[in-house]
Order: sequence, then structure tokens, then C-alpha cells
Amino acid sequence: MENSKKKNSTTRFLTYSFVGLLIYSIITFSLLGIYMGRRSKKAVYEIGQIYMSGMNEQMSRHFETVIKLRFDQVGGIVSVVSADNSDKEKLYEELVYRARVRGFDYLALCSIEGDFQTLYGESIQPLNPGPFVEALVQGEQRVAVGSDSAGNEVVLFGVDAAYPMRNGDRSTGLIAAVPLEYITDFLSLENENQLMYYHIIRPDGSFVIRNSNSELWEFFEQLQERLRSPASESPEENPVEKFGAALKNYEEYAATLEVNGEERQIYGIPLPYSEWYLVSVMPYSILDDTINNLSSQRLFMTVLSCASILIVLIWIFSRYFVITRSQMRELEKARQEALEANKAKSDFLANMSHDIRTPMNAIVGMTAIATAHIDDRKQVQNCLRKITLSSKHLLGLINDVLDMSKIESGKLTLTTEQISLREVVEGIVNIMQPQVKTKKQAFDIHVENISTENVWCDGVRLNQVLLNLLSNATKYTPEGGSIQLSLSEEKSPKGENYARIHIKVKDNGIGMSPDFLKKIYDAYSRADEVRTSKTQGTGLGMAITKYIVDAMEGTIDVQSELGKGTEFFLTFDFEKVVAVEMDMVLPPWNMLVVDDDELFCRTAIDTLKTIGINADWVLSGEKAIERINQRHQAGDNYQIILLDWKLPGMDGIQVAREIRRSFGNDELILLISAYDWSEFEAEAREAGISGFISKPLFKSTLYHALRQYMDMETEHDYVLKQDIDLSGRRILLAEDNELNWEVASELLSDLGLELDWAEDGQICLDKFQKSPEGYYDAILMDIRMPHMTGYEATRAIRALDHPNALSIPIIAMSADAFSDDIQRCLECGMNAHIAKPIDVVELTRLLKRYFV
Amino acid sequence: MMDLKDCYIKFGGDFDEVLGRLRREQTVLKFLYKFLDDKSFQLFEESMGNQDYEEALRAVHTLKGICQNFSFTRLYESSSRVTNALKESDWNKAIDMMPQLSRDYYEVRNAIEELKHSKEE
Repeated sequence: MENSKKKNSTTRFLTYSFVGLLIYSIITFSLLGIYMGRRSKKAVYEIGQIYMSGMNEQMSRHFETVIKLRFDQVGGIVSVVSADNSDKEKLYEELVYRARVRGFDYLALCSIEGDFQTLYGESIQPLNPGPFVEALVQGEQRVAVGSDSAGNEVVLFGVDAAYPMRNGDRSTGLIAAVPLEYITDFLSLENENQLMYYHIIRPDGSFVIRNSNSELWEFFEQLQERLRSPASESPEENPVEKFGAALKNYEEYAATLEVNGEERQIYGIPLPYSEWYLVSVMPYSILDDTINNLSSQRLFMTVLSCASILIVLIWIFSRYFVITRSQMRELEKARQEALEANKAKSDFLANMSHDIRTPMNAIVGMTAIATAHIDDRKQVQNCLRKITLSSKHLLGLINDVLDMSKIESGKLTLTTEQISLREVVEGIVNIMQPQVKTKKQAFDIHVENISTENVWCDGVRLNQVLLNLLSNATKYTPEGGSIQLSLSEEKSPKGENYARIHIKVKDNGIGMSPDFLKKIYDAYSRADEVRTSKTQGTGLGMAITKYIVDAMEGTIDVQSELGKGTEFFLTFDFEKVVAVEMDMVLPPWNMLVVDDDELFCRTAIDTLKTIGINADWVLSGEKAIERINQRHQAGDNYQIILLDWKLPGMDGIQVAREIRRSFGNDELILLISAYDWSEFEAEAREAGISGFISKPLFKSTLYHALRQYMDMETEHDYVLKQDIDLSGRRILLAEDNELNWEVASELLSDLGLELDWAEDGQICLDKFQKSPEGYYDAILMDIRMPHMTGYEATRAIRALDHPNALSIPIIAMSADAFSDDIQRCLECGMNAHIAKPIDVVELTRLLKRYFV
Repeated sequence: MMDLKDCYIKFGGDFDEVLGRLRREQTVLKFLYKFLDDKSFQLFEESMGNQDYEEALRAVHTLKGICQNFSFTRLYESSSRVTNALKESDWNKAIDMMPQLSRDYYEVRNAIEELKHSKEE
């Protein structure tokens, strides 16, 4: 609930900030667009103005040049033609001639009064003669526009010249004229394709040259009107007013006018040699087009970049959103898992407390009963038996919990040592038999082609794994069911020095549901309440098993079906023990294997072949007798007959009895059994059985047993007996306590060993150092000693310059039999570890291993 | 008349186990008498008194070893607990457990002396 709220708030925050960013970026971009638009419009207008002023100046200079040229021509005429010529007509002819040559259409003389005496061309009158004549009188050069009688407009050029006129006066100026087109053409004033067009006006606002574009005529009419009435002096903020003022002052002028809803830029500049004004007009529509074009492009780019930024933003937000969501989901998952684990642990604790209390109650109760009946021996014994059972169960529970806590704190270490798979399996079979027997289950062990029996492995942990699987198998298999343990070997992918061992534990018990299989290796989960109500345990067994298998770098797989049974497959890659494998070869005896299990027969035959024995097999006692009979007739007797104890029809003992009855005592008859044969040993011996071999049939099991029974037993006896000859071997025993030393001495002397006592590590080191080569055969080392501990002494001995310093076996003896301690012993250079109190059998076994 | 087995029952030991290890009653008896001369416990008490916990640990550890050898189950347990406490450097815990250890020790000792006494008679 709280979580979903949190999720919503995150989502809301994301959405809000996203929308906020969206709006912010849109506003920013539009403001930017508007600002840039204004700026660029202003800039374009400024550029337009600069362009116009430049153009106008150029135009005015051009005008000046053109006008000056004509003035020069007129001036040329004046300078060439002397005014002193008395012959007026001749003088006029001369002037006309020269004017014609220079391309003038008209020539006249002007009197001070302003009367024109036309010398050539049509008579022309200036349109505004006042200022023109006045300028001539002043002696200035001046242009003006005039028109002939036909109304054609011409440009008049007047220069100061004093020629005699027809009426006898002297002229004040010579006036020549060209058509108006001359100026308009020169100045390209009528060009349609230009950006701008021009008017030329007089200071009173009237047109000199009026462009055909009529849009500003009205404006100029207003201007004319304005100028005609000079009364108002008030400086109105009116373009007409301003322009008028500029005209009066003969100044340049720039302004923007709005005509017909469109803006125009006008620019006025005074023209030289005249009172005229050049007014250029540029419609803003052209600029506006440019600006609009520019701004539409900019708008497009802005929108585009805004959109791209938004797309990136959306992408980032959506990614962030997705990531947040998945993180949240993971968090939720982790929380759920933690909760579940926690719940499993507390459930486990509750279960465990219950499980521990049950046997504990039994112990307490039974103890009370025993105390109450202390004199009733039978009752007490019964109670003690029950107490033992409960204690064992309790111990099992506690061991599991301890193992689990070791695993969880990562402290479970493996103690790799040399082990014999045969011994491990035999040990397990011995342990399992009572359980199997009580439940009347069939227990089959198959050993297939195991050629590597001695491997490096943590035997204790391997035992634990196998025992756990097997005891589960018996536990969950009803009475009369069957349990199978199979071992096989193949080449290891790890290399030559390794052997891959497959171990299979199979039962036909109640099986497991697929749901249960999923969490079979989970600690603290006993899912199936029905199972647990009937059978007890911590539920840690499989978790521990899995952990150990993993630690051994092995694999474990399971197949199970409810009601059909379960199969566990273990695979380990064990390092082979490099010790020289005994060359196990026997004479090619003829042998018959009788067992109802075909697989067992085949594997046994394979094993027997590898040790050089010719073997056949049959599946029942009856067939065996038949086969023996055949061979008997052929005179090719079997030397050895291997009988299974349990056979369909006749059992092993009956078969043996029959063989002895029919064929005498020539053959050696051996009984194979996975069970303790002490119960039927007497009966079997009586029936003529020569000996027993215990299942599983490893190569070495068969080899040694057959040697023994075929009277080939030698000193390589693998069965430990009390009278092993260790006599004469000298052992240095480091032990600080006299009492302990005496006990050890007492026990070991019985084995014929000679013992030297070293009171502490230092003395031990000294004694060994001073000893001649080969004097001591082994050192037994206590760990906790004064002056020098066992660890230190061992390190010192290994570092000595003594011929046996590295080779002498050093066996640790200590009460600390934890695997960590053992590990430490081995790290210090000791060969093995034996727990106190000394177990003579165990010690002898160890010593024998190093005395080979 | 007290026999060896009664003696073991008295101080909480496992007679069958020790007999399994040493095999002859005579041997067991011999060692039990020698136990009376063993100074591990006294060394332990002394070291604890001197606050020499390292020496005390060694002494009680030795005592523990002896107990294992002779299957003095009860004394083994108390000495083992003290050993562990000292190993964990929990001096106060070890001191707290001293009376129990002492009781168990003298129980063994007294039983053996009583046995010796009854044999000599």
C-alpha cells in the first residue's frame, strides 16, 4: 500500500517535471524566436536604410557627374565662342553649330529679366523660371526643367554668358537643353526591376521628375500644400512636417511611411547644381519578404530544435521511468524474498524448537522413569535405550543446525585426505544396514567399473552426503521397498589425474512433488507438512548436502515422481591418489557368479576380468547347479563359486548345501552379502560355505578376498587385525603430561612399538635432531605443549637439516578434532591427525599407512 | 568393598569405554593411582590464582586430555567447558566455572582414594 503510494508519487513527480520542462522549453524557444525576429527585422531595416542612403548618394553623385558633363559642354561653348564678335548672326550661328555638335536640342540666351531668345530648336519656357534666372543672374550654373509648346519636357542647363542679344541687351546666361529622358535614362530612374524607385522634387514639393509609381503622389501633394502655407511653425510629429522642414534646410532625410497599409522607406537627398531633391522610395514589402522568409526559416529551425530536444527529453524521461520502475520492482522482489527467508527462518526456529523439545522431553521423561525404577534393571535398560535413541536423534538435529550455521557463516571447510571409496561405501553399508533391516527394505549396491578406489576427498563429508541421501531413501520408502546405491566411474574432463565418479541413490518410495523438488535444496523449508508429521528432521539435510557437493565441485541432480520414488545423481571429479596402485592380478581361475540381479552379475564379471579371472554368471541357484553339473561332466570344474545369499527359489545356503552334496568339496564357495552375516554364519559354515565377501564388490574387495581364501594371503592384508606386526618400530612421542604419556606408552607398547618420550615440543625437536638417520619411524605430536607447541615443533622439524626431516611421518594427537584444527595441522606439515583419546585401531591403521 | 566399576559410577565416568581402551582392569587401576599424582589441576588452580591464563589453559587442556584417556566423563565435561572459556579469553566465565571443576575433580580424586583405601585393606 505504502509502496504503491511511493510509486505513484514518483510517477507523479516524473510527469509533473516532464510537463514543466515541456512548457518551459516551449516558452523559452518562442520568446527566443520573437526576440530574434524583432532583432533581425530591425537589423534588416537598418541595412535597408544604409543601402538606400548609399544608393542615394551614388545616385546624387551620378547626377552630379552627368549634369556637370553637360555644364562643361555648355561652358565649353561659351569659352570657345567669343562674345566680342560684332556680327551677331555669325555669333549665333557659331553658338548653334557648337551646341548641335554637342547634342543639345535647344539653345537660347536669357536676359536679366528672364526673357528667352531662342537661337535654335523650339521655343521653351522653364517651368519654374524664378529661381533659375535668379541663379543665372548670380553667375551660377543651374539646371531646370522646361517645356516646349508641344509640352515635351526638357532639361535646361544655364551658364553665365554675356552675349549680345537681338534687342541689343547683353544676355545674362546661355541656356542649352536636352530631353528629360536624358536624365531619367542616365539615372535609370524608370527601371522597373530595381528595388527602389526615385522621384525628383523641388523644395516646394512639386515634382521635377515624377516616377510612374503613383503611391506617394498624395503624400507629395500634402507636402506641397504644407509648404505653401508657411504659417504653422509648430513642429508636429508628422512625416510631412518633418520632411518639409528637412527640405527647407536642404538636409538629408529618412523616414518610414505607411501607405495603403504597407510600409515604405523614403530617403531624400539634395542634388547639386539645382534646388532639387532626390527622393528614393523602397517598399518594405521586399524587405519584409526577406524578413518573413528568414523568420519562417528560423521558426522552422526553432521548432525543429525544440522538437528534437523534446524528443531527447521524452526518451530520457521514459528511460528513467522504466529504470525506476524496474528498480522498484526489484526492490519489491528483494523485500519479498527477505520476508520469505525471514519467515522461513522463524518457522524453522519454531519447528526446530518443537523438534528439539520432543526428544528432550523423552530424555527427561525417561530419566525420571529410570530414576523411579532404579532397582528394576529391565525397566532402566529400556529407559536407557530410549534415551540413547532420543539423544542420537537430538544430536543429529543439532549437528545439522551447526553445519548449517557453519555454512551460512562460510566456515564449513573441507579436509581433503586420501580416502578409499571402498572403505567409505563399506562404512555406509554397515551403518545403513540396521535401518534398512528394520524397515525390511531391499538394499542393493552396484559397483560398476570402479578402477580408481583411492582418491583425494573429504571422507567425512562424502559420508555425510551419502548417509543423508540413503537415510532419506529409507525414511521415505515404505516397508518392503527397495533402495539402490550405484557407483560408476568414467574419464574426468579435468584430466588424467582425475576420475569422474557417478553415484546414484535410488528408491521406490513416496517420491516428491514437482513443487517440493523446486525448493528441495532450500534451507529451512520443510514444505510438505504430511511428510514431516511422520518423519522427523531439521529439513536442513538437503541444503547441507547441496552445499557440500558444491564445495567438492560436484553436481547433484534429482528425479522424482510422487508415489514412484526418487533418484539422486551425484557426480564428482576426484583427484586420483598417485600412490602406486597394486598390480591386482590373480591366476585365471574359473569362477561362477550366482545372483538374481543381472546388472550386478555383469559388473562383477567385468571387475573379475580385470583381475584376470574367467567368470560366468547365472541368475538362480537352480541354474547354477545345472551349470556346475555341466562343467563337472566336462571335467572342467569351477574353482570358485560366488553365491548371493538372497536368491529366488533356493537361497544361497541351500544352493551351497546342494553343491556340496552333489559335487563334493572341490570348489570354493563364497557367499556375497550386503548384510551382516553373523546371524547366519554358523548355518552357512555348516552348509559348506568357505567364506564371505561383503558387498559392494570393489576390485580390491574381490582381489583380497579371493587371495585370502585361495591361500595366497601375504603381508598385504587389507583387513586390520590386532596382531599386526609393528614391533621394532620406534616412535617419538611428544606429550607434556606424564599420565597421558604413560597411557600412550602402555597402549602402543602392546603393539610392539618402541616409544621415546619427549616432554615438550622443544625436547621433541632436539631428540629428533640428534637421532641418527632412520632411527625414528614416526613422530606422534601433541599440539598444546609448553615451550613449543606441536605446530611450531613440526615446522621446526620440517626445516631441519636432517636426512629424515621431510620424510618422517608426523601425526598430530589432539583433543581438538575440528576440521579447522586438522587443516592447521596439515598446513604445518603434519601428515595426519588423530583425535584424543587414542584409538589403538585407528592409530595402527594410520601408522601402517606410513610404514609401507 | 568398592570395585573399579563402582568407583567410575561414583565420579561419573564411563568404565566400559576405558576398559575398551586399556583392556585390563589392572592397567586402569594402575593409571588411576597415577592420576592422584598428576599435578595438572593444581597447576591450573595456581595459574588462575596468578592470573597466568595461558598456563592455566594449557593445564586444564591437559586435564581434559587425561579425562578423555580415562573416560572421566563428568570431569571431562567441566574441564572442557573451562578450556573453551579460556580459549575464548573469557576469564570471568572460567573463574565462574572453577568451583564446579573443583567439585568434579575432587569427586574423582576422593573416589579413587577411597578405592585405593579399600583395596589396601
